[in-house]
Amino acid sequence: MTCGAPLDIKDKVSDSGWREAPQLRDMTEFKFSNSTCQVEGQLVPVAEVTLSPQDAVYFEHHLLLWKDESVPLSSLKTAGGMKRSIGGMPHIVTVANGPGRIAFSRDAPGELVVLPLHPGMELDVREHAFLVASHSIQYSFIRIKGLANMLHGGNGMFMDRFITQQYPGLLMLHGNGNVLERTLRPGEKILVEPGGFLYKDSSVTMNTTQIPLKTGLLGHHNMYLAEMVGPGRVGIQSMYVHHGSGE
Amino acid sequence: MNTYVCRFCRQPSDPSQPTCPLCGAPVDIRDSVSESGWIEQPPIKDMARIQFGQSHCQIAGTTVPVAEFNLAQQEMVYFSHHVLLWADPATRMQNMSLRGGWKRMMAGMPLIMMEAHGPGHIALSDNHAGEVIALPLQHGQSMWVKEHRFLTATGNIRYDWNSNDVWFVTGDDNEQETHYPMGQFGDIFTATDRPGLLLLHAPGNVFIRDLKQGESLLIQPTSLVYRDTSVRVHLHLEYPRNMGFPFWHSRLDYRNILVRLVGPGRVAVNSVFERPEGMEPIRNHSYATRHRW
Repeated sequence: MTCGAPLDIKDKVSDSGWREAPQLRDMTEFKFSNSTCQVEGQLVPVAEVTLSPQDAVYFEHHLLLWKDESVPLSSLKTAGGMKRSIGGMPHIVTVANGPGRIAFSRDAPGELVVLPLHPGMELDVREHAFLVASHSIQYSFIRIKGLANMLHGGNGMFMDRFITQQYPGLLMLHGNGNVLERTLRPGEKILVEPGGFLYKDSSVTMNTTQIPLKTGLLGHHNMYLAEMVGPGRVGIQSMYVHHGSGE
Repeated sequence: MNTYVCRFCRQPSDPSQPTCPLCGAPVDIRDSVSESGWIEQPPIKDMARIQFGQSHCQIAGTTVPVAEFNLAQQEMVYFSHHVLLWADPATRMQNMSLRGGWKRMMAGMPLIMMEAHGPGHIALSDNHAGEVIALPLQHGQSMWVKEHRFLTATGNIRYDWNSNDVWFVTGDDNEQETHYPMGQFGDIFTATDRPGLLLLHAPGNVFIRDLKQGESLLIQPTSLVYRDTSVRVHLHLEYPRNMGFPFWHSRLDYRNILVRLVGPGRVAVNSVFERPEGMEPIRNHSYATRHRW
């Protein structure tokens, strides 16, 4: 009822502990607050939101696919406009208020990741992976610390941070390709290709680690990976721009 | 008398087949309709056959589907040269004459259209993950198609193109730029002397909606795949209410550029679309409705 995942299927967990995000069935409908969301299509899914009068959602303005004429739009107050512009983050986040219907989609084959957030949760999301969030979720951004992380981390300068306080909320992301999640125990580490990182609990720390590679007598390259340290969840996507090669 | 009409191509069809012989849509599935009335175009089943004239087309693959044609003697299809995947050496190919080459080049439309004449085999595919849409057209029926969505058409379908008349101008007195959010031109296909087959390719998933007389809808301009020529289209400018957002650059304009579709007729959108262009203030534009929240 809150995330649309099919209840009649087994968890798909790999031997190493990655759990495949449940593929939402076509036309799956789920509720948040007094509103509903319906997911349509499976190649590049569309999230169609039916907003009740007191509800609102926010989104990057270029993700709007279609809307009822009657749905009012306004801007979300975001701090650090200049920083966001320099960091390549969306300069403006738009709010759609109910009542009415509005639909969103991104521009690559992949999956919608529905993350209902309980009160008191903090989630960090790769920039430009966020599709839409309900108005009860606070939106901010955090700077990725460390020059090496920024220059070689492949995640840009900032990450989106979503926080719930006393109310629950719904956050939807778009992952390119397939999405997999793993829960790290305290102190447990995992290395992730930076382009594949999608989201993490804020309790998971992320640093860039360098792996020197020698190719022949004079050839010398470095490979950079994101080192994630638990506790908490880490989500990855299987299709990404390969960091460092641009491919 | 056959009274079954395919839900997707809207033509009298044969319900005893697993797929519609005219458009390849599965016959044995329920409609997937969203609460707001969008019908999801079902992907054409792998290896489904579509009959046209004495020839047929088979759709192979589901992620980036290939349309494979078995062309009979005297029958022909035409296509933009970049979608050719393979062809029998026996298939005779030649270029098709097009009017307005200069305009087409300036508008970024394909310049070379090829004809493939039967007998022989030929296969076409576009290079995006998405769906092939088969639109059988009855004699005299026309369809507007967004540029670069056309895959192929049978020889009896007339190809024409005209201005979309959806544009806006940005810039200052010294330098101005004209933007065409739906592309400068749209393709128009009309079945002339007998029914014909039109194949399109759309990235992502495709959704269809029937607009009633006077019913309107706002969509992203680049998401429109095709529409009946009875559906009117114009620019729509929507200015969200600024809740204290500090514009650090006075030459930025906070707006959504959409198109407004007004029924009656069928429209189809795909779930992948290009990002809207910049945020410079608009100096001039084609006919548009506006809303300031």
